Amino acid sequence: MSQKQYWSDLQDLKNIATKTEVADNEFKEELPFDLSDSVFGATTPRRDFLKFLGFSTLAATLVSSCEMPVRKVIPYAIKPEDITPGIPNYYASTFVDGGDYCSIVIKTREGRPIKIEGNEMSAITKGGTSARVQASVLGLYDKARLRHPMADGKEVTFDAIDRVIKEGIAGKPGYLVTGSIMSPSSKEVINQFLAKYTNVKHVVYDAISYSGMLQANEASYGKRVLPGYHFEKAQTIFSLGADFLGTWLSPIEYSKGYSVGRKISAKNPTLSKHYQVEAIHTITGAAADERATCRPSEMGAVAVALYNAIANGTEPALKSAALNKLVKSAAADLKKGNGMVVSGSNDVNVQIVINAINDKIGANGVTVNWVTTSNYKQGIDKDMADMVAAMEAGTVGAVMLHGVNPAYDYLDGKKFAAALAKVPVTVSFAERLDETAQKCKYIIPDHNFLESWGDAEPRANYYSLMQPGISPLFKTRAFQDSLMVWMDANQTYADYWKLYWVTRIGSQANFDKALQDGVIEPAGEMANGTLAFVGNVGAAVSAIQAMKPASGVEVVVYQKVGIGYGGAWSNNPWLLEMPDPITRAVWDNYLCVSPKRAKELDAELNGFNEVETKKKVAKVTGANGYTVNLPIIVVPGMHNDVVAIATGFGRDAKVGRAAASDATKGGKNAYPFTAFNGNTVDFYSNVKVEKTTELYEVAILQTHSSYEGRPVIHEFTLAKFKEDPKELQKERGAEMSHFEHEPWDKNAHHGGEALATPEMEDGYRKNGTLYPVQPFEGLKWGMSIDLNTCTGCGACVVGCMAENNISVVGKYHALRSHEMHWLRIDRYFSGMPDDPDTIQTVFQPMLCQHCDNAPCENVCPVSATNHSSEGLNQMAYNRCIGTKYCANNCPYKVRHFNWMDWNGADAFADNLFEDDRRDDINDDLTRMVLNPDVTVRSRGVMEKCSFCVQRLQDAKLTAKKAGRPLIDGEVRTACQQSCPSNSITFGNVNDKESEIYKLRREEQVERTFYVLEHIHTMPNINYLSKIRNTGAIVAGNEKLDGMFSEHI
Amino acid sequence: MHIKYESFVREPLVDGNKTYHQVSEDIIAPIERKPGRMWYIGFFFSIILLLFGVFSVSWSVYWGLGTWGVNRTIGWGWDITNFVWWIGIGHAGTLISAILLLFRQGWRTGVNRAAEAMTIFAVMCAGQFPIWHMGRVWDGFWVLPLPNTRGPLWPNFDSPLLWDVFAISTYFTVSLLFWYSGLVPDFALIRDRAKTKLRKRLYGIASFGWTGTAKNWQRMEALALVLAGLSTPLVLSVHTIVSFDFATSVIPGWHTTIFPPYFVAGAVFSGFAMVNTLLVITRKILGLEEYITIGHLEAMNKIIVLTGSIVGVAYLTELFMSWYSQSWGEMEAFKWRIVGPYWWSYWAMMTCNVVSPQLFWIKKLRRNIPFTFIMSIVVNIGMWFERFVIIATSTYRDWIPGSWAYYSPEWPEVGFYLGTFGLFFTCYFLFAKYFPVIAVAEIKFVLKTSGDNYKREMLAIEEKSAEEFVHEVEASHHEDHAVAHH
Repeated sequence: MSQKQYWSDLQDLKNIATKTEVADNEFKEELPFDLSDSVFGATTPRRDFLKFLGFSTLAATLVSSCEMPVRKVIPYAIKPEDITPGIPNYYASTFVDGGDYCSIVIKTREGRPIKIEGNEMSAITKGGTSARVQASVLGLYDKARLRHPMADGKEVTFDAIDRVIKEGIAGKPGYLVTGSIMSPSSKEVINQFLAKYTNVKHVVYDAISYSGMLQANEASYGKRVLPGYHFEKAQTIFSLGADFLGTWLSPIEYSKGYSVGRKISAKNPTLSKHYQVEAIHTITGAAADERATCRPSEMGAVAVALYNAIANGTEPALKSAALNKLVKSAAADLKKGNGMVVSGSNDVNVQIVINAINDKIGANGVTVNWVTTSNYKQGIDKDMADMVAAMEAGTVGAVMLHGVNPAYDYLDGKKFAAALAKVPVTVSFAERLDETAQKCKYIIPDHNFLESWGDAEPRANYYSLMQPGISPLFKTRAFQDSLMVWMDANQTYADYWKLYWVTRIGSQANFDKALQDGVIEPAGEMANGTLAFVGNVGAAVSAIQAMKPASGVEVVVYQKVGIGYGGAWSNNPWLLEMPDPITRAVWDNYLCVSPKRAKELDAELNGFNEVETKKKVAKVTGANGYTVNLPIIVVPGMHNDVVAIATGFGRDAKVGRAAASDATKGGKNAYPFTAFNGNTVDFYSNVKVEKTTELYEVAILQTHSSYEGRPVIHEFTLAKFKEDPKELQKERGAEMSHFEHEPWDKNAHHGGEALATPEMEDGYRKNGTLYPVQPFEGLKWGMSIDLNTCTGCGACVVGCMAENNISVVGKYHALRSHEMHWLRIDRYFSGMPDDPDTIQTVFQPMLCQHCDNAPCENVCPVSATNHSSEGLNQMAYNRCIGTKYCANNCPYKVRHFNWMDWNGADAFADNLFEDDRRDDINDDLTRMVLNPDVTVRSRGVMEKCSFCVQRLQDAKLTAKKAGRPLIDGEVRTACQQSCPSNSITFGNVNDKESEIYKLRREEQVERTFYVLEHIHTMPNINYLSKIRNTGAIVAGNEKLDGMFSEHI
Repeated sequence: MHIKYESFVREPLVDGNKTYHQVSEDIIAPIERKPGRMWYIGFFFSIILLLFGVFSVSWSVYWGLGTWGVNRTIGWGWDITNFVWWIGIGHAGTLISAILLLFRQGWRTGVNRAAEAMTIFAVMCAGQFPIWHMGRVWDGFWVLPLPNTRGPLWPNFDSPLLWDVFAISTYFTVSLLFWYSGLVPDFALIRDRAKTKLRKRLYGIASFGWTGTAKNWQRMEALALVLAGLSTPLVLSVHTIVSFDFATSVIPGWHTTIFPPYFVAGAVFSGFAMVNTLLVITRKILGLEEYITIGHLEAMNKIIVLTGSIVGVAYLTELFMSWYSQSWGEMEAFKWRIVGPYWWSYWAMMTCNVVSPQLFWIKKLRRNIPFTFIMSIVVNIGMWFERFVIIATSTYRDWIPGSWAYYSPEWPEVGFYLGTFGLFFTCYFLFAKYFPVIAVAEIKFVLKTSGDNYKREMLAIEEKSAEEFVHEVEASHHEDHAVAHH
């Protein structure tokens, strides 16, 4: 068939040939070049020759000298629906990692998830996030993720593998091992699978086990569940080793609740009272009003003493006076009602006593909810132990492992691995070649949660839907799909899941709405209720009292806020570089010891060795003979007979480049120090700690622990604050009052007391300088940070990294204080170093203060940093020549220089910094996480917090397009949005209706202060003073604050 | 030896039996013959050091300043310490040539040429640091107020770093001119003595056709005075402006109004010490002991003890002021300077700069050459520490304890510093070979009034009694009057 001829007009139709001619002669004028055969024979040879010469020389120079960049941007041939370049899309979804839960919104740009925000529609997490949730988006692009199914280490197809596995799991007894599963539809799938394969048992295994609590609740209330905790309703909180703000059960949810009771103003001067008894120093302990330490093995005794003090009014007779005092006072407060007791112990008896206390003080149905229970953890330690025994016995035909890694995190990983070797069919659904997956015959990698459909029921009747932000990057398959294939279900999990929810909530419309919202929740207030306590306290108390009294040194196996139990987090460079809130160390785990114990190990903490990066190494030997050598990090507030090692380190090289460990890097595995007590796993054990002559460098981003009593932080006791809320205003007034008016003004202050007020601030702004004051009309950005609610959890630090493409520098440069975090959280200890019970800890998020009279701005020789009309201190990266003068002159030290080519953004070839651990961050895959709205800074320029200027611009533009003024709360900074305790307020201070205006001028006048106000930097960030519900503030007191008087 | 009618402190400035010709011989001869072994060895090592410096700098430019130890808290370390140190050293030359010229200090003639050369080389070395410490050195020209198409975008005239650019470039230019104008008659002398064509030609060009006429001399003297007038304020302004880098900041320990005079005194102190170091070596190697006499060294040592004491007073004033201010930032900064992890640098500074120069109150030590040499080194170590103390130990524990840090240099920083020694000595060795290290014309100028042999000729007059002397003087007056009347 001949080619069809199209015509555009009638003339065209008549003579198609004419058209061709016209088309050929489109360019009527001759091209200026004479393209005859001979250059010299042409009409104008000389000029053309010169043209050719010039052009070819230039072309040759360009081609030979410039490396042509490889462009990988592919324009859309057909634009996908909903994706407009430059416009982000948001999808409500759910973050689930074992028992960790957060309702989230995924921000995608050009089809790739780049940021996770909290979902404010969730009644559970209420828009809060954690460092791990913030960092989870990086996990999606983890280079160590498996890219295809494998059998015996070789790539295979799903079909091939399915056939073999189906044969393999039939017959002999098998096990399906999973972490705690919150997903109702997945549970349904598992049940159907178990119904089909009756020889397979389902074992739930949690690396960090809450088995003791589950079993105790079963014994006390007849239900093997975890209750819901309402910290927002608690007047008195007693935590026995539960790090509920950092790592215990559902820290985001609890932080949100807890912060409610920690909000305080002069008008409403009430605070919850928080007692914390713990062995190590956690961020929860740092937030506590009263804190005392005990050995982990004494937790039971403390619980019993508290129980007796409440039930019978018995005087506590514990090992330390501080503990006795604390328990007595807590007992009295708990009896007042609205109390709550939580415990991090994994011992059934301890948890029974805790249940009895909650029952006695009437917490059940008020602060402890037995109706809307929690599903976070479901694993029973005994089940796992039994399974390992069966595997060892060789009676098991198949083991399928999903979301668990016992070869690494089981108390005896080696034993597990050996037992696994005896099982003929081993299947792992691991997303990476972790310690367990390596030992499995078949690996069918599961999707990342950002690629998955799914759901979760974190609390009874509170559901959350999971939808993908991107189609699967690799040849992976949903774990549920694998089960469904093996049970010959002729449906995918996604379809099944959709049908499941459409059926459950009635209609497609309801489903669409739910998917959009991300959550399905009952209307109204959360159902609450109690259960009758039927536990045998007597037996539990006697069991506790029968325990062998503790002696020697005990090790606590704890989770870092960032890395947690390990898993994928061990290989997350953002989290590895997020300083531990308490130790401020990065990239390693270590042996946390008290200052007193450190002295015995010749690793005394003092002003001189704090700057020494090479730390003394101690040898720790467990009861089972397990030995590790770890550097000693001194942590004030640790019990003197307790040492602590964090989990999540000592990983295998195949877990990922960042996680890989050996003698020189990556820390050591702490799990082998846990012990099975016959029923549950104890996350502590007796150890021997010995000195060695070895040294090991640990990168600690903050070396000095005391704030030296400087007015950088202001702390008051609740009693003092109630008595004189204006104390801080007086202190500030003493500094500023001279400047409120000009000296010759009749109202001028000449000595005497004066209260700092917003009016005085205005006067100080004007009269504290010789220069004219810049007026700020229209928008003027300001931020307030509440030191009372800040728990130091680090969600903002990682949130900022994700939003602003902050480079990861790696351990070597962290050791040299070359880190790039725009937002850091300074942690200050006060109290007597030798007495852990006296330690008070405070956190201070520190970021660019956006000074209106910024010291950095006037020293830059090229004006690369300057002030905007909206009060922003801005950086023009392209103008920066890198003299570092601004960083020197910044009193807050929040400016960060690009010391090396961290990310390949500079013009030099092959000078990318590589340390073999952080390098995957620059992989093409990982770079997909970069926020396209934020410049990736090149080597040699200064950078710092921009108040998320890209968000400000975006919000302003939206408002402008809509033809309306910006609405307060419409724009939020990344740190503010990620904060699980609502500590950050941000907005336009010129808007009298704004939250920030009201806070500074009305509600929190008494607590407002600016850091280093007296040097007239005029910061745009204010802080709210810390109010502790305790007897005395030790910081800055020569007698009570040894950290201050010894300057450590 | 001393003359009766002259102060006993006026010792001869030129020793031995010198005639004008002998002076030319002594000073110019080393230029005309092949250099000695020591020169070759020294020059070789200087070049090696210079190359190592070039390597270190290239390394840090290629990989980034993360190869250095400076960090988030201590943004300036060895780089700016060395910058200020070299700039300080660069003060002596101009001070000797300009201020001492204005004060008519005859003894400066023996040392001024070498001192000025040292100034120029030291400023060249100093200039390297602010250039190569930039993160993006290839864009460093943005600090210059050049017309441009970037807006136009001008530098920030509020920034002390920009003032530095102007101060240092002006100082360098004026010092260079001053030095060169003094060299012109000496170059002409070499030209006139030259026996090879090339030498005649090159020195001929360099001497700008100097013929030694009265007009030549008159203009040259006038130029010297003008340049001396110009550079005198510069001696004070350069280090004043360098001190503004710190004084205008908000960092306790930097934010100090005493800095300008303190820096200038320190600069003269270290500059004189460096001149001593070089002179002791030069006079020995080139055999110029009769021109650079112990008297010269003693005069230098006197200035060292004076400026050392000024610096000491400045240190104590700083401490007093920090206490007197009762400002916690100030008090703490100085406390941490003295007892913090960097205590050793403070005490090194105190010992080298304040305590040890006091030994120069003892005349015997002032005139002892080995001791002078050792002290000149000690003083410059002390002055290096002073700059380190100011720069690193102010920032390392500043306002917010949470950001406190520590700093140790990495090899490229050390290499850079060593490289500037390489640059300095390479230049100095070339100077010693090709340029007259002592200003021949100026020495001749003082020869007849202060030369040892001429003073000895005066002995005959000395022996006369006072009456005899008066009589003779009056007689000669009569003759003069008689001549005048006729």
